[in-house]
Amino acid sequence: MPYYATSQEWIRQSQLLLEARPTTTRITTKYSLKVPQMRKPKTASSSKPALTPAAAESTAATSSSKPARGSLILKTYDPVSGVTLKYKTSKAAEVSRLIQSLGKLSRPMAGLPELKDEVMTDAPVPAEGGGSGAGTPAVEKSEAAAVGQKPQGAPAQAGGASGGKGKKKKGKK
Amino acid sequence: MGVLSNDEFFAKLGELLEGCKGKSRGSIFLTQKRLSYEQDIPEPTSENVLPDLHPPRPLPVLIRATNGKAGDKRKERVKLSTIVEPHAIPEFFTKYADVCKMGMAALKPRDRSKRKTKGKKKKTTLVLAS
Repeated sequence: MPYYATSQEWIRQSQLLLEARPTTTRITTKYSLKVPQMRKPKTASSSKPALTPAAAESTAATSSSKPARGSLILKTYDPVSGVTLKYKTSKAAEVSRLIQSLGKLSRPMAGLPELKDEVMTDAPVPAEGGGSGAGTPAVEKSEAAAVGQKPQGAPAQAGGASGGKGKKKKGKK
Repeated sequence: MGVLSNDEFFAKLGELLEGCKGKSRGSIFLTQKRLSYEQDIPEPTSENVLPDLHPPRPLPVLIRATNGKAGDKRKERVKLSTIVEPHAIPEFFTKYADVCKMGMAALKPRDRSKRKTKGKKKKTTLVLAS
């Protein structure tokens, strides 16, 4: 599953998924530390197997001098439909905003209405649906739409990449 | 470990993130999902196929945190969990963001890769030109 290029897009798609499947969807935030892999000099790769422990020691020594880099991966996953939405960042400046957006995404998770006015127009639908049962198919449709929208994210990203190429060409002139 | 109160959770999560500082590797997993256990969600009926879409009342959110230690390091594993009531969500996440911001120190403070990408771009344009 590809990562979304922007956090906004990830939030929007996660919101739709949570609205469709509020009970089973979960959001996992993974904060991981990793020392950047050093490129081994050619002599190290061609060294004899007998020397490898020493080489390993030396690489360990160099890696310990380098500070670990952190990364933050946000993943929305619904095990029932198998939808996975991911976003990755390594910028400290984004942490606060992303966690705040987790709070925003907790609203559909808790069953609270969205703070925007758009959902207010939707609010009467369940009230009608409760009596006639006509509301439920509509809800299912919206769920299908939410799940169906997910693959559209990938072409959008591809479009962004091709846009980058265009920019490069301009620079050449 | 049983379910912690929100404040205890923040204290323990702060310790957990603090413990990661200075280490060269490791991960912290933070998970959140709707708490549906023992919440009296009505059974699905033919009229209401998906009752969880419109619960009779807002449901709490379950937050979990772990360092994901398993296997030989299972003894080092830390598992924390807390339940956030619906009315407390905005307040909780404001604090949560602060705790995470303080703890996640290994993330890049600023984008320093500008020069690097510039160099790469030049290379690619040269390739395109040839």
